[in-house]
Amino acid sequence: MTTSRQLTRPKALAGLGLVGFVLLLGLVGPLLAPYGPLEQIEGANLVGPSPSHWLGTDEVNRDVLSRTLSGIRLDLLVVFVAVPVGAAIGVLTGLLTAWWNVADVLTQRIFDVVLAFPTLIFAIALSAFIGPGVWTIAIVIVALEIPVFGRLVRTSVRTVREMPYVEAAQVAGAGPLWVLRRHVLPNSLEPLTVQLAVSMSVAVFIEAAMSFLGIGVQAPNPSLGSLIKDGTTLMYDAPFLALGPLALVLVLVLGLLLISQSLSEAHRD
Amino acid sequence: MNVPHRQAWLRLLTAAVALCLLSACTSAVGEQARRRSSGEPVDGGTLRVAALTDLIPASVFGQSSNGGNAVIGLVYDSLVEYPHDSLEARPALATSWKVAKDGRSIHLELRDDVRFHDGKPFTSEDVKFSIRTIADPKWAVQLQRTAAAVTGFDTSDPHAITLTFDRPLSNILDLLDIVPIVDKDTFSQVKAGTGYNGTGAFRFDEWKPNSEISFSRNDDYWGGKPHLDGVDVKIVPDPQAQAAGIRSGQYDLLLGATARDAETFSKDPKYEVLDFEGATQQTYVGFNLKNPDLKDVRLRQAVAFAVDRERILDEVYRGEGIAQNLSWSPGSPAYDEKAAHHYDRDVDKARELVDGLGSVASLPLQYIAGDPTAEAVAQIVQANLDDVGITVDLEPVEYAQMYQRLVGADYDGLWIFGHTYAQYTPATLPVSAYPFNAEHNASNFLSPGYAAHADQAWAAAAPDGPKAKRAYAGLNADMVDNVWLTDLVTFWPRLVTTSAIHDIDYTKRTELIARDAWKDQ
Repeated sequence: MTTSRQLTRPKALAGLGLVGFVLLLGLVGPLLAPYGPLEQIEGANLVGPSPSHWLGTDEVNRDVLSRTLSGIRLDLLVVFVAVPVGAAIGVLTGLLTAWWNVADVLTQRIFDVVLAFPTLIFAIALSAFIGPGVWTIAIVIVALEIPVFGRLVRTSVRTVREMPYVEAAQVAGAGPLWVLRRHVLPNSLEPLTVQLAVSMSVAVFIEAAMSFLGIGVQAPNPSLGSLIKDGTTLMYDAPFLALGPLALVLVLVLGLLLISQSLSEAHRD
Repeated sequence: MNVPHRQAWLRLLTAAVALCLLSACTSAVGEQARRRSSGEPVDGGTLRVAALTDLIPASVFGQSSNGGNAVIGLVYDSLVEYPHDSLEARPALATSWKVAKDGRSIHLELRDDVRFHDGKPFTSEDVKFSIRTIADPKWAVQLQRTAAAVTGFDTSDPHAITLTFDRPLSNILDLLDIVPIVDKDTFSQVKAGTGYNGTGAFRFDEWKPNSEISFSRNDDYWGGKPHLDGVDVKIVPDPQAQAAGIRSGQYDLLLGATARDAETFSKDPKYEVLDFEGATQQTYVGFNLKNPDLKDVRLRQAVAFAVDRERILDEVYRGEGIAQNLSWSPGSPAYDEKAAHHYDRDVDKARELVDGLGSVASLPLQYIAGDPTAEAVAQIVQANLDDVGITVDLEPVEYAQMYQRLVGADYDGLWIFGHTYAQYTPATLPVSAYPFNAEHNASNFLSPGYAAHADQAWAAAAPDGPKAKRAYAGLNADMVDNVWLTDLVTFWPRLVTTSAIHDIDYTKRTELIARDAWKDQ
């Protein structure tokens, strides 16, 4: 089944709808936002939800809706740039090293080391060296995705290279790079697309968790994670602050997971 | 191919649970209604304290961490004690004292019934050792300069001491109020954090780094046996977690409540909010004059005019304090209302000063990472400066590193931090406080005129006499004209307890005192 047909399943359509909704909000939302994301509105200190401020205002008088709409963009950057970059590097590394045994062993041990660290511990350690910020989030996600995709494509290489048609191609004079490009990569695409969707949803959580812990996006810039953090520090006085960003994280993750699940089911069928 | 789908779901589920725990760590445990006391102290119980910052043994006498302040306040005594609302010293380990007419020495009679926690008697040698310890630059104590000015110690009588100074010291009683009396024989344990042998109402039991500090009652306390069995100080670096903890009955007292939390608790009869009146602190914006852009006083003045102190006071400190650009409170002999409000917000004047500078480079503004109060202040200041054409980049810095930079005077540009010591004799601020010390301060501001005014204030026999007031006027003019830092808000810390806790006290440096404290049983 082709990927485009897989995406017409109801579950996939629901996922696409949810992701598309957040994507649309991220792209056009800031243009519709009533205030700038950093604009401090005189006298609007921790105002509850109202027609003027749908999601209320924060401790330094900023409109939370405007900040949330702006914050989506960072999560989209993480999801649609950092994950694909990590995936591309991982696939390339997996393809090239899996063919040659020495390179394969070396690469797999490096992957073992990276994967041995829990995500947040790895993120905290990295931020201690390069400081907190958007780039730290991006680097953490790229670094974590490389071994995930590298391992996945390596399994394909090890399986496909034993196939008779590959042996035939080699007997006919085909080099390893041609075999990888012509036979291995196309056979790995379906599981890779499933993993890509899963990794994107995990990336949303990583951004949220890192910003929540103060090692991600820094004040005054908004991201969904930093907005949740701001909301929880004032949970007793203004419980409404975190609701909008939390709902968007939920929608984005759910949408991506529905897509990945649908792709996975179609692959099994 | 086997796609790790279940594992991915599991990872996500784990991450989701972790995020929920992080974001919603409020306990569902119901708040226990605590009965108010009948007024009669009862013995027993342990005071459970939540502190934001841990003890740092290497700087326990210099750094105002919550953990360090608990050790100093509970374990040690000083020679004299200031009441909260004045500088009229009261006896503590010293029963009486007399300053020489020339102001160059002081004679103190000491209590003869005091023993350290290990049973060793307290003597004048311990006073000498304690003052010399504070005078040692390696401890980086802010009163170091004042302690170093004490050059002679007559300890011939174990229960009396005469201190001789190299100059008249108008703030000698400040030093005697602040210096904790330590035991010289066991002092090696202090820097390792393994032992604190004092004469105070509570004995130090154990310190578990980044976790807790425990104390037990000193039954032989010279001031009478304390009511509490002990004090447990838990290190809880998140104010939100502290607030959740006291609501769920985990803690009796919070040392790190934000002004907003304190305001919320003050409306709830199950809690008490104690104002640390007399222990005023200041939040300020400092400028490192080694930064080439900040060398120009016009830029510093522009910042001072641009910041909206009233807004910071109202919105961040919930109105509990004074918005002014100098540190002295209205009761201080150095207070000058006109100078204290010289830099009241004037956006036009700030813009005019910035225009006169031509282009202004973007500057770093550092503040304490993870401190919601500092972060809110920093963001307001950033927006205020943006309004007048000054761009600053916010840089959160860990507390310990902020402190190191303060002592080492190596901030990158601007910074937001707190200071104290304006509540003492006015000479103490320009002589000893890191941001103001005329010999070496965090801004690298050096001026012969300022140093001379600081010395005149230091040597003034009467801290509120005409000679001293002339010196204070000079100091105020130096501060207004040179603006190496600008105060934002003078405030007093607020301490939250459950209503089951009674008679908690504190020193002028916000050190916790629990010798008379008791807990409803």
